[in-house]
Amino acid sequence: MSQRLSRRKIAAYYASELLAGNKDVAKQLAAYLVDTRRVREIELIVRDIEAALLEHGVLLADVASSRSLSAQATKEVQTYLQSATKAKTIHLRESVDATLLGGVRISTPGNELDATLRHRLNQLKASKI
Amino acid sequence: MGILTQFATSEPAKADIFTTLGIDWKTLILQIIAFVILVWLLGKFVYPWLMKSVDERQAQIEESVKAAQAAEEKAESAQEEVAKLLKEARKEASEIIGTAKDEANAAIEASEKKAKSRADKIVADAHDQIEKDVIAARKTLHNDTIELVALATEKVIGKAVSDKVDDKVIANAVKEAN
Repeated sequence: MSQRLSRRKIAAYYASELLAGNKDVAKQLAAYLVDTRRVREIELIVRDIEAALLEHGVLLADVASSRSLSAQATKEVQTYLQSATKAKTIHLRESVDATLLGGVRISTPGNELDATLRHRLNQLKASKI
Repeated sequence: MGILTQFATSEPAKADIFTTLGIDWKTLILQIIAFVILVWLLGKFVYPWLMKSVDERQAQIEESVKAAQAAEEKAESAQEEVAKLLKEARKEASEIIGTAKDEANAAIEASEKKAKSRADKIVADAHDQIEKDVIAARKTLHNDTIELVALATEKVIGKAVSDKVDDKVIANAVKEAN
């Protein structure tokens, strides 16, 4: 039976291997999680991997908006993320959610910037007494 | 006239005067003895009893008189006592009435004071309630306004936001975040 490793160690190993170009690391991780019956931790491990990648200067950010981002908006988001996280490489996972009404919500490992109009409306509703 | 003539013509009596008068000695003595016996019997049996009855009756009468006098005196005394009692009763009644009036006045004053206090409290409570109601109404208005504004904004934004506006919103958000 494989030795039980902490999520942090798994994430650090996965990030370093991924950056080194090891294409089989995903299969190795999957096999390890199945073997150690830790499949349910996959989301947490993915989050830790993203944090580990950020430590290596690679940022994976989720960007949600009410419509597809224009080139200008994408550039502004990337500029913001670069200055905020000092990452060298930035990958954006864009998603469209019409209920956000407008603006953008950016999620990075450990942080979130919700600048959507939906969030502002929710804040306005929350100010009810 | 005939009788006078008869006396004038008659001879002086030879017998004594008693015989002339028709008095019989023997009968007289018997009558005297009977009278004495009668007197003795009366003095011995009847008179004492009679005197005793009279004395008793007199004693009773005197007693009754005394009793009547005593009763009269008692009545007078009772009348005086009644008068005195009436006077005291009037005085006491007057005092009771005075006290009752004082107590009634005090009770009225206390009731008025209590009623005023209660009225003041009711008014104060009403003011508080009104103030609370006003605050609650303001809150409701505030919340309803926010809800309405949020709803209207949502409806308007859903149609009004163009790509250009969205880009501007994003640019401003990023700028503010920096």
